[in-house]
Amino acid sequence: MAAILQILILGLALGGVIALMGSGLSLVFGVMRIVNLAHPSLIIAGAYITYWAFKASGVDPILMLPVSAAIMAAIGVLLYRLMFERETNSVKYSEMTVLLTFALAMMVEGVLGGLFTNTQRVTSPDYATEAFFIGDVFIPKGQLYAGLVSLTIITALTLFLKYSRLGYAIRATTQNREAAELLGVNVNFISILAFAIGLGLAGAAGSLVSFVFSFFPAKHWEWVAMLMSVVVLGGMGSILGTVVAALLLSVVAAFVGTWIGATWSTMTFFLALFLILLIRPQGLFGEKPEMA
Amino acid sequence: MAVSLQQSSASAVIEARRAHNEKLARRADQTRATWFPLTLLAILIALPLLQFTGNYNYLLHLVLFAASYAAMASGWNILGGFAGYISLGHSVFFGIGGYFSGMILARYGVSTIVTAPLAGLVAAVMGYLIGLITLKVRGPSFIISSIALLMISRILFDNWELVGGANGLTLPMNDLPVLWAKVPYYYAMIAIAAFTVWATYRIKHSKFGLGLRAISKDEIKAESAGINTRFYKVMAFALSAFFVGMTGAVWGEYLTYLRPNIFLLILVSANLVLMCILGGKGTIAGPVVGAILIVALNELFVATMGASEINILGTGMVMALGLIFFPLGLIGTLAKTGKLPRVLNWD
Repeated sequence: MAAILQILILGLALGGVIALMGSGLSLVFGVMRIVNLAHPSLIIAGAYITYWAFKASGVDPILMLPVSAAIMAAIGVLLYRLMFERETNSVKYSEMTVLLTFALAMMVEGVLGGLFTNTQRVTSPDYATEAFFIGDVFIPKGQLYAGLVSLTIITALTLFLKYSRLGYAIRATTQNREAAELLGVNVNFISILAFAIGLGLAGAAGSLVSFVFSFFPAKHWEWVAMLMSVVVLGGMGSILGTVVAALLLSVVAAFVGTWIGATWSTMTFFLALFLILLIRPQGLFGEKPEMA
Repeated sequence: MAVSLQQSSASAVIEARRAHNEKLARRADQTRATWFPLTLLAILIALPLLQFTGNYNYLLHLVLFAASYAAMASGWNILGGFAGYISLGHSVFFGIGGYFSGMILARYGVSTIVTAPLAGLVAAVMGYLIGLITLKVRGPSFIISSIALLMISRILFDNWELVGGANGLTLPMNDLPVLWAKVPYYYAMIAIAAFTVWATYRIKHSKFGLGLRAISKDEIKAESAGINTRFYKVMAFALSAFFVGMTGAVWGEYLTYLRPNIFLLILVSANLVLMCILGGKGTIAGPVVGAILIVALNELFVATMGASEINILGTGMVMALGLIFFPLGLIGTLAKTGKLPRVLNWD
């Protein structure tokens, strides 16, 4: 029983981090129909910013989170204006952006590889290796803190989307772009804002990831399918769906990893992605029957 | 009476249309510079004669490398260019072909050059089965599912002890002298590339190819026009897997080892997409031109800057710039502006 509880707790803590990693992806898809394959590579960029600050002057990764988020959000504005703004009228917009973000992911990987080399890195604040004990069950502090911080950020994001005027505008654009524009929403500005928020979330997730996982520039290929499975299962564009799917899948992956083997725990995500796309392409909380 | 009159006039119309089409085809044949690809092929066939005058192994390697990519990109073009389904998981078939023929070579000593068509068939059957599942979704969902496919097969091959797992398998080297060791693979690869380009030409001008192009324009309309879109798409997937698998077979023996992190790389898939986009998706010459350009650029990056990070960065940048400024690719853009030189008009 304690063993099951243990696996459950570890899975949930990781699931919190994965939820934050996926929420930016989901937001960007919801508002702009951009399947951002570069999202995981930008998370790694955020992790490197945090790593660099930690190595240089011992800044705590969680304190570094807002800085990393701000830097990535600024990069997001720049990238959107340079790469995606001019594509909005293209016929095959969605497919086009998949390829563009794929190219972007390679560029980010190349730049990071050149700057930081391809060795595995991890930031190691004290709490990353400590744990709380409750009876037989232990909770690693690092994963617990990371999970809590990301759930806080996601709650804040949800409140922002639900109650602020900008949040209204973002949700209106998600539901129907043309109608939102007719009602006086500056759709282009909202797109830039949502892209910046999405990348800011990537930067924030990067700071947390930097002490939860070890990372290297090419690691994002493993994450892209993992995050896609979370976002697709949750229903692309639904933040709540992403959170539920992340918690669900990472708990399943934790059980698979313990009982069957560590290699197969990543497989859980890929197989899940495959199955969802075939059985229910719109995901658990999605509305669009077809994302073409 | 009226009915038969109508029938005869209908057949007369069809007859007239056929005559007109044949006239157009004849005119197109006259303007097509068939001599150019044939001369190119002849030059490539004669190229190993250089070995009598010195060591040109590097040149042969480059041509072989470009030919292998030209074959694979042309194969990818059947699905991605004609049918409009972009796959980022085609390195799976590269791996399947390589491992199938490589295992036969390792166990029974039969050269992969002999078994390459068989490897292509195995890849095609796998492609058919996978296509039955993944081609139910389209657009971005299909692209994502193809990445998932690649990830799954990478884990499977990494853990499959029979084929050596992550460490892979070493294949026996042939016992030719150094000067001539590359030549059999060189000819095999040139043959595969030429065959693939010819086959894509035939496919594009068949009823099947027409159906695929209709699917890429508007699948629902194609379906309602009576095209069995599902069968067409799955066949396109299987065919494109066939050519990629065949290339993979010969590539494995040429490298003399099989390893998941050589075959099942997303970078290989990315290169195929890149070549087709840069050269011109859906054209016959596009993937070939793209393959030559990318291989040349790759060599340039590696030779001048050395690091593989620069290579990845460069590939990404070329891809992004090409997508933004020339979405039709080199051949497509030139053809649209009417500036395509006759020697490159292979369609």
